[in-house]
Amino acid sequence: MKEILKITDLRKTFNLSLKQRKLEGTNVKKKVAVDGLSFSAYEGEIYGLLGPNGAGKTTTLRVISTLIKADEGDVFVDGISVKENPDEVRKRIGFMTSEMKMEGFFTPNYLFDFFSELHNVPEQVKKSRKDMLFKKFGIDKFAEVKISDLSTGMKQKVSLAIALVNDPKILVFDEPTSGLDVITAKVVTDFLLSLKEEGRTIIISTHIFSLVEKVCDRVGIVIDGKMKVSDTIGNIMGGKSLEEAFFEIYKGSEGKEQ
Amino acid sequence: MKNIFAIFKKELRRFFTDKRMLFMLIMPGIIIFALYSLIGNFIPEADPDYTYIVYVENDTAEFASFHTNEMYKTEIHSISEWDKESVLNAIKEGDVHLFISYEEDIINKIATYEPSSGDPAPRIEMYYNSSSMESSNIFTYYSGILNAYEATISNKFDINPGLTQYDMATQEDMTARVLTSMLPYMMMIFLFSGCMAVVTESIAGEKERGTIASLLITPIKRSELAIGKILALSVTSLVSAGSSFIGLLVSLPQLLKGMNFTLDIYTPGAYFALLAVLIVTVLIFTVLLSMVSAISKSVKEATSYGVPLMLIVVVLGLSTLMSTGSVKSIWLYLIPLYNSVQCLVGIFSLTFNPMHFVVTVISNLLFVVGGVFVLAKMFNNEKIMFSR
Repeated sequence: MKEILKITDLRKTFNLSLKQRKLEGTNVKKKVAVDGLSFSAYEGEIYGLLGPNGAGKTTTLRVISTLIKADEGDVFVDGISVKENPDEVRKRIGFMTSEMKMEGFFTPNYLFDFFSELHNVPEQVKKSRKDMLFKKFGIDKFAEVKISDLSTGMKQKVSLAIALVNDPKILVFDEPTSGLDVITAKVVTDFLLSLKEEGRTIIISTHIFSLVEKVCDRVGIVIDGKMKVSDTIGNIMGGKSLEEAFFEIYKGSEGKEQ
Repeated sequence: MKNIFAIFKKELRRFFTDKRMLFMLIMPGIIIFALYSLIGNFIPEADPDYTYIVYVENDTAEFASFHTNEMYKTEIHSISEWDKESVLNAIKEGDVHLFISYEEDIINKIATYEPSSGDPAPRIEMYYNSSSMESSNIFTYYSGILNAYEATISNKFDINPGLTQYDMATQEDMTARVLTSMLPYMMMIFLFSGCMAVVTESIAGEKERGTIASLLITPIKRSELAIGKILALSVTSLVSAGSSFIGLLVSLPQLLKGMNFTLDIYTPGAYFALLAVLIVTVLIFTVLLSMVSAISKSVKEATSYGVPLMLIVVVLGLSTLMSTGSVKSIWLYLIPLYNSVQCLVGIFSLTFNPMHFVVTVISNLLFVVGGVFVLAKMFNNEKIMFSR
């Protein structure tokens, strides 16, 4: 299988403001969010980053999507370095996170056209892609409704559709089912699987074990910015449930820290 | 009492331990000091050798000492050198600053005049031009000294009595003067207010709502994002400011009913220059407020950080209230915003200087280009764009 995403020895440190230092009860001015993290993802696979809050999952995804820069290490998307050529990487990825909101004033139709234009998608391609995605997600009935008037689930579906305007090779989803009702969550889950069937590479970060078990081919368990395990889901579970396997690894890492 | 003190302490703690609040409290004084000191250093002091041209009719030796003073160097001419009509025309044109007409044999008439007699008092008439700073200055000086003298002799003469028009300023001069004192200040405030609302909403608002990240992961260049935003926000701000400005112009004739107010005194060229100055000024405001918005986490924070900028605009605008013409030094037209204000003063006071206009437009556009470059860098800076 072709390697689509390669992350090598990624390291990212944030300066802590006085307020953050007070909140975290520390005098240390820097926090290591990602500490030498490496993994690869291949064509047509779903790779899940699993870990507790603050483990460094979102930071890793933000580096992949070029929103922030790594201090050390690099990310290669389809062989292109995020550090060297972020503009080219942006053409090849789709990114969706709960932090990224859509302007409530606009309609799904307008936003899809707008982002297609920014990605230089040809008019005909844009039209057929929009028709297909809007139909698939049931957005077509709400295409001219303002985003602010849509339900949370429909907003998530519109976000998914917009993440696909440039027909990306790799999709990065941060907590894709977070805050969704069970029906919408299933739509999203099924959609992830259908994208995988199309041969796309999908990276998701989550702490929902059931989602990982259902959709991921391989999993990386991230704790305190470090990659503790990166393997197929079957190997990680080793006959146990994913939740049990995760907590064994988590406890093991606590022991090592001590 | 204890509770009052507790509330008092809490409020003070809120204001004096929050860096942002403290900044907002102290900043106005610093800005006013810095701005006026800076402008004061640039503005040339009044020329001590400036000579005021004064024509006098029936001059007397008793009043001759009034012509000599340390503040105003005067050049006294007798009306016999010219006729009265020509002198009054020269005052309108700004070639002569004052014409004083003492009643014939005024000293004897003052000596014999009895205020209780009911007869008209001896007259002193002074013709001047209120639209000229120099003419107003020398008129004020002579009025002051003659009034002081009159008070010492029990009000035995009248200065500018009756209904004669002593102010030689034309309708055109008066309109220009009123507009010069009002419009540059108001226009700067309108422009800034229009920009403030839309720029903070567009940039800080996008950060606050989390929609800016969607733009930052597209392949567009940060400079394209900065230029696109600045142009759109400038157009929007200009529409907002234009609406206020047109409202003001339409209401001015009502406001200044007694003045026979007309805007016909301004040429199409003046209106073109006005539009150009407004556009570059809006661009400057948009760039500055975009930077302020980029470093802010929310619209509220951006609005707070915009207050010092608002103070600068107010201070600059207020400096034109007593102005009858723009500053002359070309170097001052390199300072953004100050140059806009001075260009507006030049346009409205009919002392428009094309060179000042060109320098203003070019320097402001260069500032905008630099601002776009900085803004693009800010959009690329994760600490600025994703700070928490």
